[in-house]
Amino acid sequence: MAAQALADAAVRAGHHAQAFPYFGAERRGAPVQAFARIDSRKIRVKSQVYEPDLVVVLDASLFELEPVTEGLKEGGRLAVNTPLRPEELEIGEGTEAVTATADATAIALQTLKVPIVNTAMLGVLCRVQDLVPIETVMEAVQERFGEKLGAIAGRANASSAWKAYDGAVVGVASGKRRIARAKEWRPAWHEMPAGTSLPSATIDGVEVGPGSARTNLTGEWRWSTPFYKKDRCIRCLRCWWSCPDAAIDRLDDDYMRWNFDYCKGCGICADICPVSAIDMIKGVHRW
Amino acid sequence: MTSVRSPVAGLRNVSREDMLVHGHGACPGCGYAVTARNIAKVLGPQTVVYVPASCLTVFSATYPKSAWRIPFLYTAFENTGAIITGLKAAYRRRGIEANVVGMAGDGGSFDIGLQALSGAAERNEDVIYVCLDNEAYMNTGIQRSSATPFGAWTTTTPAGLEIQGNRRFKKDLAAIVAQHDVPYVATLSVAHFTDFVKKVEKAKSMSGFRFLHCLTPCIPGWRIEPSRGVSIDRLAVETGMWTLYEVEHGVPRVTYRPRKMLPVTEYLGLQGRFKHISEEDVRTLQSWLCRKWKAHYGEEVEEPPCVIARKDEGLGHDGDPLHGL
Ligand SMILES: Cc1ncc(C[n+]2csc(CCOP(=O)(O)OP(=O)(O)O)c2C)c(N)n1
Ligand code: SF4
Ligand code: SF4
Ligand code: SF4
Ligand SMILES: [Mg+2]
Repeated sequence: MAAQALADAAVRAGHHAQAFPYFGAERRGAPVQAFARIDSRKIRVKSQVYEPDLVVVLDASLFELEPVTEGLKEGGRLAVNTPLRPEELEIGEGTEAVTATADATAIALQTLKVPIVNTAMLGVLCRVQDLVPIETVMEAVQERFGEKLGAIAGRANASSAWKAYDGAVVGVASGKRRIARAKEWRPAWHEMPAGTSLPSATIDGVEVGPGSARTNLTGEWRWSTPFYKKDRCIRCLRCWWSCPDAAIDRLDDDYMRWNFDYCKGCGICADICPVSAIDMIKGVHRW
Repeated sequence: MTSVRSPVAGLRNVSREDMLVHGHGACPGCGYAVTARNIAKVLGPQTVVYVPASCLTVFSATYPKSAWRIPFLYTAFENTGAIITGLKAAYRRRGIEANVVGMAGDGGSFDIGLQALSGAAERNEDVIYVCLDNEAYMNTGIQRSSATPFGAWTTTTPAGLEIQGNRRFKKDLAAIVAQHDVPYVATLSVAHFTDFVKKVEKAKSMSGFRFLHCLTPCIPGWRIEPSRGVSIDRLAVETGMWTLYEVEHGVPRVTYRPRKMLPVTEYLGLQGRFKHISEEDVRTLQSWLCRKWKAHYGEEVEEPPCVIARKDEGLGHDGDPLHGL
């Protein structure tokens, strides 16, 4: 929807534009892509965008998982959702790009009460491109989101875009470290020992095989954090058992310890604790 | 409800070791993930798992990464029953003792996989078949299956002007499998901890065909708050939308019985997929449930009074995380 709003805004600003989603697995947290193409002439290409001028990254942890900047043109630009400054980002060896960053998650939580950052990121995008002005983007957002979700949501989304535009930091981001991609490694069937589908191994610094998902730090998804009040805990083990992400360690004495590298903040543990020994606190914390 | 202050007895002796580890990509609060993780935990390291096309494959094992510490296999959507049959044969031939377990979705079990499931059950293969039932085809974007309950919204049973949501009642798969006269059939809920552990342990200790049917809440598919999955499963049992029982060598036994039937609206009200439901459909569903209740618990039950509560919609995201994208 944000890509469509951007295309709407481009049309309002007198350009030709198209927007379309990428069809992949529909799972919250699963990487998804959407594309927009803007030109001063009528657009006849119908393909996905392979060599973008601009890349908007809604989740900075993707730099570790996906070749986010692949195909980015020479002189291409980035907009990234992160509390970091552009200079502090690691975007993959050999790339350098003028980049705008903002903590869009915090902004979305403040303006929309949900961590949906797409419209805030349109604001950040406006800091590194001059085809479509922020005012036009806000109009388009208000209209498109308003139509779908109601006028209040339309205005809230437009204000989310503005706040992010206002608060974004522009600088140059670069990549120093080679980010090896797990997907590049494909052993032949005869390289696998009988009885296992894939052995545990580390290839190019990437862990693969059984249990290797551990390297995905899903704690990055969190927007709400459980707070454990140990003195209230009756060690019933319910939270430990019910966490979908195995983010609660059951210690030797049956008290709990949270593993914030993985906790996605779903709130199940707090919901089922029989003595309210867990509170969900807004925001990303570690304690 | 369970007594509040006591530690859950059944969980004491459960291992701290996970076979399905963190770092997987399920939605926050995913009921599939809780269930698969805990079944694998109880079955332990001497286990091999097969998963057909479903959310579980995509979030737990995208080659060459895997969240499983045990061997994992994936092939096509429809053949869980056949693949685990072959796996067990191969292990037997090699002299390896292992729990061979297939974990398939409702689409993969109720619909497209029913033939292979029935075949494996009828041959009494020495395997554990787990049906992770989230009541629709979630991985491909929430299409109705024959496990979808009456009245539920899915993308293929939309809430329109003429017809609102699914028109058919949920198929009783566990009963169908039990009719194959297999050694063990049981139904599980993520909210009934001790019951869950006992049933998985029992399945593990037996041989022959064992079938575990689990109700696994789905956050975007049921349009629920990520924190409520476990509570919703509890309400499913209290309202009769789900029943907990086992059939051991042909002998059925209810393993948990609610003290009184709660009105179905208590269950429906927490889920966006029932947001549109009409009073007439609630009545239809409630009387169907009362019939089921009698068949299951062997006693007449009086229809509890249903009240449709409408939640206010806030910013209009209605709990659907995909809505804003
Ligand atoms: C023969 C075949 N048809 C369709 C598909 C596409 N497909 C992949 S996963 C899926 C849905 C599976 O639904 P279910 O078994 O309920 O599991 P869930 O996604 O809900 O976990 C479908 C239709 C496929 N992989 N193979
Ligand atoms: S909030 Fe969710 S992911 Fe985090 S520890 Fe609790 S149950 Fe686990
Ligand atoms: S659910 Fe609550 S009381 Fe039970 S172990 Fe967890 S924190 Fe302690
Ligand atoms: S779509 Fe549903 S079943 Fe699939 S990962 Fe998300 S919550 Fe789990
Ligand atoms: Mg399903």
